[in-house]
Amino acid sequence: MDTSHDLEGVWVFGDYRNYFQNRVTLQLIAKARDLADKLDTRVIALALGDKVHQWAMEYVAHGADIVLAAEHPDLKSYQVETYCSVVAPWVEAFQPQVFLAGATSFGREFFPRLAKRLHTGLSADCVALEIDPETGLLLQTTPGFGGELLAEIVTPDHRPQMATVHPGVFQERPHDPGAVGRILYPDVDVVPETRVKLIRSKRQQTRQAKLEEAQVVIAGGRGLGSKENFERLYELAELLEGEVGATRPVIGSGWTDKERLLGQTGKTVKPRLLISIGASGAVQYTTGILGSENIVAINRDPQAPIFNMADLGLVGDANTLLPLLIEALRKRV
Amino acid sequence: MNIAVCIKQVPDTPSIRMDRERMTIIRDGVESVINPLDYVALQAALDLRDRKGGEVVVITMGPPQSEEALREAIAAGADRAILVTGAAFSGADTLATSHVLAVAISKLDPFPDLVLCGAHTTDSDTAHVGPQMAEELNLPQICGVNEIHMEEDYLTVKRLSDGFVETLQVSLPALLTVTQELCSVGHLPLGDLQIAFSEREITQWGPEDLGLKEEEVGLRGSATQVWKLSVPPPRREGDLISGSPQTLVDHLIRKLEDLSILDEEDGYKS
Ligand SMILES: Cc1cc2nc3c(=O)[nH]c(=O)nc-3n(C[C@H](O)[C@H](O)[C@H](O)COP(=O)(O)OP(=O)(O)OC[C@H]3O[C@@H](n4cnc5c(N)ncnc54)[C@H](O)[C@@H]3O)c2cc1C
Ligand SMILES: Nc1ncnc2c1ncn2[C@@H]1O[C@H](COP(=O)(O)O)[C@@H](O)[C@H]1O
Repeated sequence: MDTSHDLEGVWVFGDYRNYFQNRVTLQLIAKARDLADKLDTRVIALALGDKVHQWAMEYVAHGADIVLAAEHPDLKSYQVETYCSVVAPWVEAFQPQVFLAGATSFGREFFPRLAKRLHTGLSADCVALEIDPETGLLLQTTPGFGGELLAEIVTPDHRPQMATVHPGVFQERPHDPGAVGRILYPDVDVVPETRVKLIRSKRQQTRQAKLEEAQVVIAGGRGLGSKENFERLYELAELLEGEVGATRPVIGSGWTDKERLLGQTGKTVKPRLLISIGASGAVQYTTGILGSENIVAINRDPQAPIFNMADLGLVGDANTLLPLLIEALRKRV
Repeated sequence: MNIAVCIKQVPDTPSIRMDRERMTIIRDGVESVINPLDYVALQAALDLRDRKGGEVVVITMGPPQSEEALREAIAAGADRAILVTGAAFSGADTLATSHVLAVAISKLDPFPDLVLCGAHTTDSDTAHVGPQMAEELNLPQICGVNEIHMEEDYLTVKRLSDGFVETLQVSLPALLTVTQELCSVGHLPLGDLQIAFSEREITQWGPEDLGLKEEEVGLRGSATQVWKLSVPPPRREGDLISGSPQTLVDHLIRKLEDLSILDEEDGYKS
């Protein structure tokens, strides 16, 4: 077994349950690589489950130096208490400096409990992570205080410095089948949670909008004014071979379904072109679209914050522009 | 069935101003409301109580004016209210907040069968406080619940978690955090406002009542600190165009051509 010194670096919780929709663990391993290089330490990924070898291999191929693995029948389903019973003793034994998890449903219910047990700090749903060059502290940026501002959070005296991270913020590294890493199976003491029983688990049936993969995204906001107006966006999207996204008030008004929500509590998209129409540009929305290569914004208010991040801003009434635009495009295709 | 509901008073506005010196939210002059999901939790609690008996206790940690939120909860039908307040509690992160609330809940007599929280708040939005109280109180937790059924001496609940619809059973006592979907029932009956605003006493607990030392609460009991606040930087300064609708549409079409999303001239898309 290694000395615990080898294991004190930057840890990433391996969350593979929804792997094909959500690659946040791989994105975090890439970011951890960057942080670990600055701290001159290692990237350690965790893999818990009943059979985890393939995940451990995957994490090595994506940049982990070491994988801490635990295989046990009681770890088969994701359960907060049971997982805490394995991970908390590891943290106490090996003393990581930083510990990250994706802000998945599970990450967001597991990490708070774990942080509390370890009596350390945790920041929620971060959109950026950096190392402060002077103090070596992890700077955890989270959209806070209603989203008007970004807050940089630090955990000065408690360890590990823990954060959950919004999926889609960081870019995973390409799969490298030649990557070298070690997979360790430390001793585990699994204490299953018997007070909660999982009776049934069914994959949710959705017409999975291919929003995250779309090259063109048309995002509509409350400014469109009605469901009928919002529905013009589907026409536009069809003409541009794109997908439609929406802000939260649009979902709240029932103009479209929840799967299309963009932003902090919705999806993150990185298309070649995003056209934002009738959305003010609140930070909870813009965190979901910041990675777009090009942003065109349409809003009738020249002061709207969305224009601060638009490559092209059009000041005008969306409901006048849209029919004209659709007509012009129809003539061409 | 005795239920404790944790409610937080939050600003009723999307634009929040900051005190940049103290790095805290300026709450003066901003209307406050009960955090919407805490209202959902309250409604679920009242509904369970009405069917199974017992009492609903609402509890909040906050400045003295959060009493308003408790009064509103009483008006909606809560039986008792507890205000946990004191200067020492301010500036708390979720570690310190959950500690104070957990200590307050463990002082409740009888100890609740069920603790309900919102899944998250609209202001700090961490979704930490529920699970962190569950840890300190050694309760089983289920987050993001959208259906609750009371069985003999346990609950059956449903939730959506990472693309899976899960049905779970949990023994009591337990802590649940609830989502908007739980509450398709409509609005709360407003109850007797008169009673809420005059007769019912609100219990007030400070650090001494809870046996808490200064260093374990508020800013001093917190593990995280706000290092810096910033306004999200403008990503890039693009062109801002006003003009006739046709001019605007022409600009947009040119942009689509530049990006080769449309073919140039009036040709056809390949
Ligand atoms: C904790 C928390 C999490 C949140 N998470 C999310 C999230 O994930 N995603 C999200 O989107 N929001 C989220 N929000 C909400 C967010 O703060 C904003 O309220 C929301 O993004 C605003 O949506 P909007 O721009 O469509 O509406 P508004 O802010 O109402 O903006 C409408 C805009 O349309 C313009 N307009 C009006 N009429 C016209 C017209 N005819 N033509 C052109 N322009 C017009 C107006 O000038 C205005 O700028 C969250 C909020 C909180 C507190
Ligand atoms: N100061 C508080 N007083 C009472 N309950 C709180 C407080 N802060 C958070 N909560 C509860 O914890 C839930 C999650 O809050 P948060 O972690 O801030 O997103 C809320 O919906 C409340 O039920």
